[in-house]
Amino acid sequence: MSFALALTTLILFLAIGIWIAAILDALFYRRISGQGGVSVLSPFYAAAAHLSRQRLTTEAPDRLNWYLAIAGYLAIATIGLAVVPFGPETAVIGIKTSVVLWGACESLVVVLVFLHGWSPNSPLALIGAYRYVAIGLPIMLLSMFVLIAAALPARSLDLRDIVASQEGLWNVIRQPLGLPLFLLLGLSLTLRGPFDYADSADLAGGTSVEDSGANRAGWQVARLAMLVGFSAIAASTFLGGYLGPVLPGIVWLAIKTLILMAVVIGLSHLLARMPVARMLGLIWKFLLPIAFADLLLAGLVALA
Amino acid sequence: MTNLAFYTLSALAIWSGWRVFRVDSMIRATFALMVSFICVGGIALLMSADYIGIATVFMMAVEMTVMGLFMVMFMMNPAGLNPMQMVHQHRFSIGAGIAAFIGLTVAVLATNLPNNPLPAGRDTLHDLGVELLGGSMLIFETAGVTLLATMVGAVVLSSRRGRFGDSDAGAVPPGLQPGGQPAGRKVEKSGGHGGHGGDGSHDMNMNMKGAPKSDDAPHKGHGKMPEEES
Repeated sequence: MSFALALTTLILFLAIGIWIAAILDALFYRRISGQGGVSVLSPFYAAAAHLSRQRLTTEAPDRLNWYLAIAGYLAIATIGLAVVPFGPETAVIGIKTSVVLWGACESLVVVLVFLHGWSPNSPLALIGAYRYVAIGLPIMLLSMFVLIAAALPARSLDLRDIVASQEGLWNVIRQPLGLPLFLLLGLSLTLRGPFDYADSADLAGGTSVEDSGANRAGWQVARLAMLVGFSAIAASTFLGGYLGPVLPGIVWLAIKTLILMAVVIGLSHLLARMPVARMLGLIWKFLLPIAFADLLLAGLVALA
Repeated sequence: MTNLAFYTLSALAIWSGWRVFRVDSMIRATFALMVSFICVGGIALLMSADYIGIATVFMMAVEMTVMGLFMVMFMMNPAGLNPMQMVHQHRFSIGAGIAAFIGLTVAVLATNLPNNPLPAGRDTLHDLGVELLGGSMLIFETAGVTLLATMVGAVVLSSRRGRFGDSDAGAVPPGLQPGGQPAGRKVEKSGGHGGHGGDGSHDMNMNMKGAPKSDDAPHKGHGKMPEEES
């Protein structure tokens, strides 16, 4: 696959992924409340409504950082998807350290979500921003251990090698602790459910409380794009990515990404929220040791 | 192409480095510094130092976030949004800046910089791993443990004594006059009823006391709000 083809695939994958993610999100919500299905065009209606609204601003905002945060979040999601191999030896960003690059994307998400809440010069957005950093940093630490553990059997930091190493046995079976922990990171990266301390309803929208019009549409699209990028990374790291019989690799990747996307959206609607202090306790005292155990297990298996 | 990327990244690194000293907010300065470091990481990538380049990006992202937040917490500048002067000791810093610039320029010009391109197919990641866990392991492990001990020590030293007194003595804001009553809301003694209901009613009284006395209507509206919501 040539670079141009891979890039086109990436853009299509992202666009369709965002659309499906928006439908799934609405569908889960309506299912839980016992209502019927949703129109497949509903994401476009929502986008049209956002785009036709006026773009409001606050008193003395930091406009540059505000726009950069929204654009950067979308860019980081796209970079995340770009390191995912669509087939053997095919990724838009094919470097030896692609897992580390994804780690850098994760940490930049914390920066960008913080800036998104800080820039509008508004109290609720600011609280969301600070809260998110407190939760975002430890949960990212956890993902580093999980990713290193996944890289161990492949003996490489290249996501292409990590997918290839799952030819016989997927990482989800080889390292059973990895995927559940990584999915919690996904909830945090996409600002969803119990890990959404940035944009949650208890802060009337948190960091995006002052977003309106095109800004809000852009932020929502970026969040959905991050969900697509994260799900594709998780599918490649734990579910064998493009590996699978009969069907072409890209179709397998799309199916696995879709399943993980549905799982993350489902978790975000079904898990209960906690106060920040309790969540911090859970992450530092409970989840982080489990991530250690995951890494230890992977290390022992690699030595054996 | 590589040259273009190098000059763009260098220019951005220098520009954002300059912005660090020109912006009027700690958060802006922090993230301008982060952009500068990320550009340097990009230059490392151009020099085939894959791991170091990208590690710079993620380490700086985390480091600058933590640094920015700690600065805001310690500086009593709510949220880092208030404009503040970011430079001080002007004469000394100008002198130090000029001396450092001249020193570094002389060092760069006087050094015989190596020019050995990476041989094709050489795995720098593997070399780096062997170096870190082979020949230089003792140095890196010593440095790592020392840094960890320093961090723990710094947290222990700084966390007990807070802005409003010792953290284990209960937080009381300082007085408005030296040695005066603590500022802020007075805690009223509950009449032994206890529980949340009692506290809630006291809060309500406080609100009513704080509001202008001539205007009675808003109080009633205020008091009704929870019922309307439920």
